[in-house]
Amino acid sequence: MSIINVTLIIYIIASVVYIAREVWWSIATKWVALGLFILGFCFNLTWLIKRSIEAGHPPFSNLYESLIFYACCTALVYIVFEFIYNFRIVGALAAVLAMLILLYATLQDPSIRPIMPALKSNWMLAHVITYMIGYGAFGISFITSLIFLAVKPFAKNKKRNEDEQGKGILPRNFDKLSYKLVAFGFPFLTLGMVTGAVWAKKAWGDYWSWDPKETWSLITWLAYLVYLHTPLILPKMNINKSKAAVMLAIWLLVSFGIVNFTFVGLNYLPSAADSEHIYGSQ
Amino acid sequence: MKTEIKKDTRQNIKIQTHQNERKGSSNIVWDFFCSVKLAVVIILIMTVACILGTVILQEKTMDEYTAKYGYGLATFLRTTQLTNVFYSHWFSFLLILLCANLICCTIKRWRNTFLQTGFVLTHLSLVLILIGGVVKFQMGVKGGVNVYEGKSVNYFLTQKIDRKGKLDYVKKDLPFSIALDDFILEKNEPKFQLVSYVKNKDRQKVLEIKLGKKQKVPGSDYKVTIKDYVPDAELKQEPVNVSDKPDNPAIFVKFFGSEKVAAEGWLLANERNSYEDKKQNLRIEYLWLSSQQELDKVVNSAETANPQLSVALSGQMQNYPLELNKVFRLEGTDYTIKMLQYVYNYGDRRPLGEQPTDNPAVQVEIKGPEGDETRWVFEKFPDWNKMHPAKYKSLNITCSGIAGTYMAKNTVRIYQTPEGKQMIVCIKDKRIAEIKPWELDNRYTIPDTGNQVEVSEYFPSFDFKREVIKKSDEVKMPAIFAEVEGPAGKVEDWIFSSNQYATWYTDNNFALVYESTGESISHYTSMLRIVENGQTVVEKTIRVNDPLEYKGYVIYQSSYDPEAGSFSGLQIVKDPGIPIAYSGFGAICVGVVFIFYIKPFLRKKQKKGVEE
Ligand code: HEM
Repeated sequence: MSIINVTLIIYIIASVVYIAREVWWSIATKWVALGLFILGFCFNLTWLIKRSIEAGHPPFSNLYESLIFYACCTALVYIVFEFIYNFRIVGALAAVLAMLILLYATLQDPSIRPIMPALKSNWMLAHVITYMIGYGAFGISFITSLIFLAVKPFAKNKKRNEDEQGKGILPRNFDKLSYKLVAFGFPFLTLGMVTGAVWAKKAWGDYWSWDPKETWSLITWLAYLVYLHTPLILPKMNINKSKAAVMLAIWLLVSFGIVNFTFVGLNYLPSAADSEHIYGSQ
Repeated sequence: MKTEIKKDTRQNIKIQTHQNERKGSSNIVWDFFCSVKLAVVIILIMTVACILGTVILQEKTMDEYTAKYGYGLATFLRTTQLTNVFYSHWFSFLLILLCANLICCTIKRWRNTFLQTGFVLTHLSLVLILIGGVVKFQMGVKGGVNVYEGKSVNYFLTQKIDRKGKLDYVKKDLPFSIALDDFILEKNEPKFQLVSYVKNKDRQKVLEIKLGKKQKVPGSDYKVTIKDYVPDAELKQEPVNVSDKPDNPAIFVKFFGSEKVAAEGWLLANERNSYEDKKQNLRIEYLWLSSQQELDKVVNSAETANPQLSVALSGQMQNYPLELNKVFRLEGTDYTIKMLQYVYNYGDRRPLGEQPTDNPAVQVEIKGPEGDETRWVFEKFPDWNKMHPAKYKSLNITCSGIAGTYMAKNTVRIYQTPEGKQMIVCIKDKRIAEIKPWELDNRYTIPDTGNQVEVSEYFPSFDFKREVIKKSDEVKMPAIFAEVEGPAGKVEDWIFSSNQYATWYTDNNFALVYESTGESISHYTSMLRIVENGQTVVEKTIRVNDPLEYKGYVIYQSSYDPEAGSFSGLQIVKDPGIPIAYSGFGAICVGVVFIFYIKPFLRKKQKKGVEE
C-alpha cells in the first residue's frame, strides 16, 4: 500500500476517534485522537520528503504534488492550533478535510515530470510554502465557521464568551477562533503574494500582469481583507452582534471556496488558455 | 502605557472630535474618505471587477470579441472597457479612491506610537505599490525580440491593441545593442510512462514502473506486474526448433539466380507456405502431407488441393468444388448458391495472374426465402461476414484452397511427409517437368531457367525465440516485461517504448502502451554581450530566472526557436517603478507580520505588566 493511502486511512481513523471523544470525554481519547492525527501528518510529510528525493526537486511541481503538500499544511496548522487552543471537535473535520484533499490528489496524474526552467527558483519555494500555510489556516477557519454556524441555532439562550473549564473553547465561540485563524493565515497569504510577485518578475519580467492566476489570488486576498476590516464597521452599523457573527462566518465559507477555486478551478475560466501560471496549461 | 492601549481601542470619539475641529466644514468629505465602510465597498467592487476581468477575455482584438460574443455584446464590452478591465478608466478611478482612502485613514489614525507601526506600514505600502504600478504603466516598456546566434539587435517590439481594437506591433529602439554569442539548449533525459487503458470504461491511467510490484488498475479487475526493465532495448527474433515432432514444419529455402542468392527465407507449412516472384513468374510452395500415400496421390498431378466452398447452416455443413457460375442447391433447404468470381488478393485491380496470393476471396450469390444476397467470402478471415451486415446471417460460408489454384509459369513444389519422404516437383506451364527426391543443402536446377533452389534447414517444430538485448545503460529505447492478470488469466509480454501501438490483453478490453512523454527542456541559456559605442560593456549568460540588467533595461530569457533552436527569444523590460513597488512589498511584509504577530505579542506582555 502506498504511503498516500496509509495517510488517508490514518486521517479517517483519527476523525472517527475525534468523534468518539465527544461521547466518551476522557484525556486518553484526546491524546489518542491527536496522536493519530499527528501520525497521519508524519506519513503525509514522509511522502513529501520521499518524493522530493525521488524527483530531485521540491514536491510541488505539479497539481498532484501540490495537493498533497496542501493537505500536509492543513494538518500542520490544525496541530499548531490544537496545542494552543484545545479545539475539540475541529480535529474530526480537519482530518476529513486533509483526507478529501488527498483523495482529490489521487485523481491527478502522479507521474514525475522534469520541472520547467521557470520553476527552478528559491522565490518559488518561499512562495508555495507560505501560500500553502495560509491556505491551511483558511481551511481550518472554514471548519470552525462551519461548526459555529451549525451550533448557532442551539446556543441562543446560553451566555456567550464563557468557556467551560478544561474543555477549551466552546463551539458557540468559534467565531473568535475563526478570526484568530485568519489573522494567523493572512500574513502568510500576503508573504506568498509578495514572494510570488518577486518570482514572477525574475522569471517572466513582470511582477504583476493581471494573469488569471494572479488576479484570483488577489481576489482571495481581498476576500480575507474584507473579513478583517468588517469588524471595524459593524459596531457603527445597526446590526445585531450575533447576526454579524453569522454573516462573517458565512463570508469565511465563501472565501474558502474562492481559495480552492484559485487553486484548482481556474482551468474552467475562458482566460485560462492565456495564462502562464495555471497547472496543466503549459 | 495603560492610556495608550485604550486609545488603540475602537472607541475613539475624542480623536474624531479633534479631527473635526481641524477640518472644519469639510468633515463630511473627510469622514467619507476615512471610513472603513468606503474601504470595504471599494474592495468589494474591486473583487467583482477582478472576477469580470478573468471571466471576460481581456485585450483581444475586436474581431475575436465579435466572433465570441456577437457584435452587440462585443461593442458593449468595449465601450464599458470590460475588455480591458485592469487598465480601464473606471478601474483607475477605483484605485485612486482606494489610495485616497488609505492615505486619509492613515493620517486620521496617525498617532506616534510603536504599536501603530503595522497599521501605518500596511496601509502606506499599498499606496507605494500602486504608485509603483502607475510609474510602470506610464514610463515602463515591455517587449520582446528574437536574436539569432552570432547576430545582434538594437531594438525590440511591443504589442498594443490600438483604438480600433486591432493588434499592433511598435518598434522601440534601444540605447545599446545586444549581441548573442551563443545559445545553448539543454534537454532532459527522455522520460517514458506506462499507460493502461480499459476499453469498456474508456479510462486511462499512468502506472508506476516498479519492478515486482503488483499494481491494480483502478476501477477494473486488471493487475499489472512489471517483471523486468531494460533502459535501451532491442528485440531480436531468432527462429528456433523447439522439438522433433512435426508440430509446425518449416524449411529455409534459398533461391539462386545465376549463382548468387537472389532470395531466401522461411516457408512454414501451416501459414506462410509459398514464395512468389512476379518478375520471374515463379512460385515456390512448401507442402506438408500427412502420409506417404497422400504424397504418392498428389505428387504426379499438376493440379492443386481442390479449392472449395463450405456452407454451414444450423449445424449442417456441405462442401462444393470451386466452379464458377454453377448453381448449387443447399440440400434440404430453399437456398441456392452461385460462385460469381474469385480473386487472389481482394482489393487488387490487376488481372488475376498478377495478383499476389495473400488475400484470396470468392464472391457468391445466395438466393433464399428472403431474396438475393451477394457477399464476399474470405479464405483468411472466415468470421468476416459475422461482423458485417449480411442478410442471411445464419448462413456461414467459408472457402479454402483458392490461393493454391494460382499457377505461375514456373512452380516449384517442395513436398514433405512425417515419414521423411521428400520430393521436389517442378511444374512448367501447368505441366510437370521434373520430379526428384530432395535433400538438405543440395541445389536443384529449375528446368530451362538457370535458376536454382536449395533447402538449407528443416525445423519440424518452428518457433521464434524472442530475445531482448540491452544495448546500453542510457535511457534510450526502454522496454518492460509485464505480466497482466485479468479475467482471462495471466499473460506476459515485452512492451517496447519504440512500439507506437498498444499491446492488448487477451480479452481485447485492456491495453498497455509504453510511451515517451516527449523531450523536455531543462535549461536554455543565452550568452549575451551589451555593446555601446562599439565597445562591449557587459557580458552575461542569462537563463530563465536569471536576467541581465543594464541602464534600467532588464533582459530576460523568455523563449527559443522550437524547430531549429537557432534563435533566442528575449524579453526586454524597463520599469522605473520597481524601487517604489518593491519598497511597498517590503513594507507590506513587515506590516502584516507586525499587526498579526508582533502586536498581539506586545499587547500580551503589556497586559501582564499592567496586571502585576
Ligand atoms: C495588507 C492589508 C491591510 C491590512 C493588514 C490592514 C489592517 C488594518 C488594521 C489592523 C486596521 C485597524 C487599525 C486599528 O484598529 O488600529 C485597519 C483599519 C483600516 N483600514 Fe486597513 N488594512 C489593510 C488594507 C487596507 C486597504 C486596502 C484599505 C482600503 C482602502 C484599508 C482601509 C482601512 C481603513 C479605512 C481603516 C480604518 C481606519 C480607522 O479606523 O480610522 N485597509 N486596517
